[in-house]
Amino acid sequence: MSHSAYGIPISWFLTVGALLFCIGLFGMMVRRSAIGMLLSIELMLNAANINLLAFGSYLRVPTIAGQVFAIFVITLAAAEAAIGLAIIINIYRLELHIEADKITSMKF
Amino acid sequence: MTILGFQVTGYQVAFVVLAGITLGSAALVVLMPNILRAALFLGLTLLGVAGLYVLMNAPFLAAVQVMIYVGAVTTMIILAVFLSHRVMQVGFTQAIHNPVFAFAAAAVMFIFLFMTVANSLWVKDICAAGPANTDVGVHAVAYALLQPYVFPFEMASLVLLVALIGAVVIAKEDRPGEP
Repeated sequence: MSHSAYGIPISWFLTVGALLFCIGLFGMMVRRSAIGMLLSIELMLNAANINLLAFGSYLRVPTIAGQVFAIFVITLAAAEAAIGLAIIINIYRLELHIEADKITSMKF
Repeated sequence: MTILGFQVTGYQVAFVVLAGITLGSAALVVLMPNILRAALFLGLTLLGVAGLYVLMNAPFLAAVQVMIYVGAVTTMIILAVFLSHRVMQVGFTQAIHNPVFAFAAAAVMFIFLFMTVANSLWVKDICAAGPANTDVGVHAVAYALLQPYVFPFEMASLVLLVALIGAVVIAKEDRPGEP
């Protein structure tokens, strides 16, 4: 059912996913701009997708569920990016900056 | 083929090249002070991830990735950068805050994740040596989406509709008199 002629063990994909996730985590912590944080979130979501697809196609009984879950993740990421960018544009209109730690008008 | 004395397959070369593109441009996404260039490098990262999907026998997901992420999400982010920054002003470039602390936290996280991948027995137990060679193409995805996963599929479309309307409502200018 599966062939090893590829020569790529699953741990390579999992390592790339882990590295991508940690790069996104790093970006989440060093960025103060809301758009920069959104970019880091996209990186982390893609790392999760790499893991989902790797397990979906490397299992001894291959399953399509990995690809289906990845499609749902992509869908929700698109929705989240649309809402997040709309909020960012609205905040910029009110405050003329999008520095996440200087935005106080949404707090009570 | 042989590179530097190592016997490698073409798939391994493709994997190393694609992973290098992905991780290198991802590092530039988080380190680039100019937010517009960071968004452009995000597009390159997502293209590299699409290439990795092809290596995992998921060509449909690679096409979806290129269309939705590279085509739509990156474009949307770049438009939002244009709408929320004054390009000629100070503040278009952002400094990196607390890089040492953040790097330490991310490195600890990576060490834990890598140890989990390297040491866990279940990865070796349940996974084959290569990606599945069975039919995991468009037909299988379509069948899975419309037969067993039809309810989450419809929920996802509802979420997208609500998100579209919500984005329009939130981003709409309330007071047309003010800038």
